[in-house]
Amino acid sequence: MRGAWTWIGRRVAVLLKKSTVERELDEEVRFHLEMEIREGVRSGLSETEARRRAMIAFGGVERFKEEVRDARGGRLLDDLRQDLRIGVRTLVKERTFTLAAVLTLAIGIGGNVALYAVLDASAFAALPWAEPDRLLTGRSTFDDGARLGPVLSAFDFYDYRDEARSFESAGALAPFPQRMTLEAGDTPERVDVVMVIPGFFATLGVPPLAGRSFVAEEGEPGGGRSMVLSEGYWTRRFGRDPEVIGRTLTLNGMVFTVVGILPAHARFMVDAELWIPAVRGRGMASGRSSHNFLMVARLAEGITTATAQQELDGISARLAGAYPDTNAGKGIVVTPTREMLLESYWSTLALLGGAVVLLLLVACANVAALLLARGRARVAEMAVRGALGAGRPRLVRQLLVENGLLAAVAGGVGLFVAVWAQRALLAFVSMDRLGTLTGGFSWSILGFAMGLSLLTVLLFGTGPAVRASRTDHAITLRGAGRGTTAGGSALLRRGLVVAQVALTTVLLSAAGLLTRSLRELTTYDLGFDQEGLLTAEFTLPSGAFSEAERAALIDGLDDRLRGLSGVTDLGWASQLPIRDPGNNWSVGRAGELHQAGGRNVNAHQRTVYPGYFEAMGIPLVSGRGFDATDADVEERLIILSRTTAEILFGSEPPEGRFVEIPEFGGGIRTHQVVGVVEDAVVDFMRDGRSPAMYYSYHQTTPSRMRVAVRYAGDPARVTEGVRSALREVAPSVPLDRVETMDAVLRRATADERALASLVGMFAAIALGLAGVGLFGVLAYHVTQREREIGIRIALGARASEVATSVLWSGWVLVGVGLAAGIPLAVMGRRLVEGFLFGVGGGDPLTLIGVAAFLAAVAAVASVLPARRAARINPAEVFRRE
Amino acid sequence: MGRFDMAPRTDLLQGSLDLLILKTLDLEALHGWAISKKIHLLSRDALEVNQGSLYPALYRLRDRGLVDAKLGESEEGRPIKVYRLTAKGRKALERERESWRRFAKAVEAVLAAT
Repeated sequence: MRGAWTWIGRRVAVLLKKSTVERELDEEVRFHLEMEIREGVRSGLSETEARRRAMIAFGGVERFKEEVRDARGGRLLDDLRQDLRIGVRTLVKERTFTLAAVLTLAIGIGGNVALYAVLDASAFAALPWAEPDRLLTGRSTFDDGARLGPVLSAFDFYDYRDEARSFESAGALAPFPQRMTLEAGDTPERVDVVMVIPGFFATLGVPPLAGRSFVAEEGEPGGGRSMVLSEGYWTRRFGRDPEVIGRTLTLNGMVFTVVGILPAHARFMVDAELWIPAVRGRGMASGRSSHNFLMVARLAEGITTATAQQELDGISARLAGAYPDTNAGKGIVVTPTREMLLESYWSTLALLGGAVVLLLLVACANVAALLLARGRARVAEMAVRGALGAGRPRLVRQLLVENGLLAAVAGGVGLFVAVWAQRALLAFVSMDRLGTLTGGFSWSILGFAMGLSLLTVLLFGTGPAVRASRTDHAITLRGAGRGTTAGGSALLRRGLVVAQVALTTVLLSAAGLLTRSLRELTTYDLGFDQEGLLTAEFTLPSGAFSEAERAALIDGLDDRLRGLSGVTDLGWASQLPIRDPGNNWSVGRAGELHQAGGRNVNAHQRTVYPGYFEAMGIPLVSGRGFDATDADVEERLIILSRTTAEILFGSEPPEGRFVEIPEFGGGIRTHQVVGVVEDAVVDFMRDGRSPAMYYSYHQTTPSRMRVAVRYAGDPARVTEGVRSALREVAPSVPLDRVETMDAVLRRATADERALASLVGMFAAIALGLAGVGLFGVLAYHVTQREREIGIRIALGARASEVATSVLWSGWVLVGVGLAAGIPLAVMGRRLVEGFLFGVGGGDPLTLIGVAAFLAAVAAVASVLPARRAARINPAEVFRRE
Repeated sequence: MGRFDMAPRTDLLQGSLDLLILKTLDLEALHGWAISKKIHLLSRDALEVNQGSLYPALYRLRDRGLVDAKLGESEEGRPIKVYRLTAKGRKALERERESWRRFAKAVEAVLAAT
């Protein structure tokens, strides 16, 4: 071991102390020569003659030094230095080649580095909680495990928590913030509130900054009037005043006591300005059919996820037996928290990851082709250097050093591309669920970039390097070398183009599918008229307004707003389509709800104010709409969407018939159908025109209402009108989230747009590279076959025939590439399928489009080579031979 | 460069040259020029050491730790590198000497065949 270090040390010393060693050597040589000369003079020679003989005896001084250096092992490093010098000179000299190769590689590498950076920051990020790998999340499954829900019901949670021995502790949160009005001073403020079932923060292992977090009693009836502030809100609103603990604040009209402050990493999945406890049996925490909570549990020491799952399955079975109405077929799945947090964008990363890897491969094929072509162009240079005595290993090494240089430059430029690409990725891949993701670059990312770059260039550069060095110098120098290695090299280049076309086919079809899907999405018939709609919302907290007050207030406001100039119509609803997600609830024909063979459907439930359907442009199919007299009707009334009515009543007229709907807190309530409206999008856009049912505002008055104002002219002026009208009737109620329906739709399709354009961009780059690759091969093909083409022309072949044959050889390459690429694309469609709307993953039309597109690109790439082939002058070719 | 056409001859020489240098230094510490003169002398003027080979050999031996070099003085008091044998070099000399004798005997046996 020591020997090895000494050896290395000496070699390093040779490198570093080069000048000292050289000086010593100079000194020794000079001494030696002087002694020789003196001896010569002593034996009777003239001094000049003695010097001459001494020098001859010595041989060339420089060569001698070289040999000394060789003997000392400094040779390798010395050569490397020389190789680098030559390499830099060559790369600078061949600017076009260098630029093409570097840019091509940088694009491929940049995309991969960006993705790696995102992965690095997410999949391997340190979660901010205590021993995060022991944290599990639990969600309900339905239909005997066939469907995984996003949440579970509070009552099921209580049972799992109390019975499971696999958990050290467990808590739950409702993973969606609720906008509530907080009065803590003069002006009421809208804040994001998240409900948790006590035990949640203790399970995460997040101790409070000050005060305490919730205790078990606060989640039981009689509790619940306490709140915990986030550090951010505490700082922003109260200037980090510790005195705020113990103060009472009014939230949605109800009085709460501040009991503690939690640090930033108490955030879980969603932003919260403050947290309040969910109380057993109240609101979201009522019953087993109201699924609102995500369970977070900490595994007991030594228990595995599988063991915990097994225990929970037993509990689920017991629950199904005890509560068949709500729990038949229902279960729970526990997932490691890290996995759960990542799963929502895992598919996006997989898709983009696939795309950038394909892009890199296409880029590599191009660089390999470039290197091959350059290898050919440099055969003469290599031949000369070989003939002058440079050994083959030396030549290969020279080429490898050049490639290494290329890799370093490409890797560097790739990093710049990566910075930009990462920003693009983070901008729309919604990764804030982890809360730890900031982007930025680390040493490991730099290493990844350089390593990837080096790997690709060496992998794709070594072949050409070895090939170039293998050339027989003598043959090449005599000029007879033309085409001697052409067979193998040409085949290889064709192979590369075929590979490029195949890979591009995969990318293009993914991009094609996403684009078609986006088109489907943006041209989708929403079932309502989205043009010129302004939306806004406000809440009339139940603590501050009685039901009658709320109804009177909306009645007054409706009148007032209809009188505003610029307002042509308006409608009110508990949730507006696309903008506000809401409940999807089961409804059944009277007597058939939850019965085997009964007619049931899950429909989105919305509460609407008279005039809503007219304002939205949703036509009434039959029966009547709602009106203010509904308040006096004993029976609960309901309007069904056409699909809901058809599922429940078939072709029978549903008006006057009864449906049953499970109540929030348990039990069943019967509703009488008064009318049917046309299907429209009610919830997420991706759900399409899904089944819906509407309640009358005058029978049930939700505290939060959204208004859709159909306007003409300037939306800002209309907004101001709405704001001041609200101020007049309810000065304590702020107007919230004002936006046009156009903006809502843009936001709803933003991810799809970004994804389609990003993958589209990758595909376009790959297409460009493949086109250039094809052009290169065809141009080379024409050059190689100049003589043959010349002969054909001389024998009477027409120019058009010659050109067509070039075109055909291009199409043959594309055809082979397509034949290989289409099965790949079909196999890879799984990655895309989850993102598609209204198009299948194996859409034949898209594949045909891709094929046509590639054929067209091939035609364009063939134009110049074909023209050149057609213009070959036989006389000129033969004269040159 | 010309390394390649030289290679066979230097290889043969190198082996014996190393041995000769080691032997010379076994007697006393010498500077480069003196080594070449000494070999010339001891071989009774039969061997002319190619100076171009001498220094590479010396540096190589030094790198292998068989000789070391210290700054000494020439006969006229001029500072010059003086080479001496190390303990390792002495062992190497024994080894080389044995193998050379075996080699010489073998060559002789071949040549003596009738």
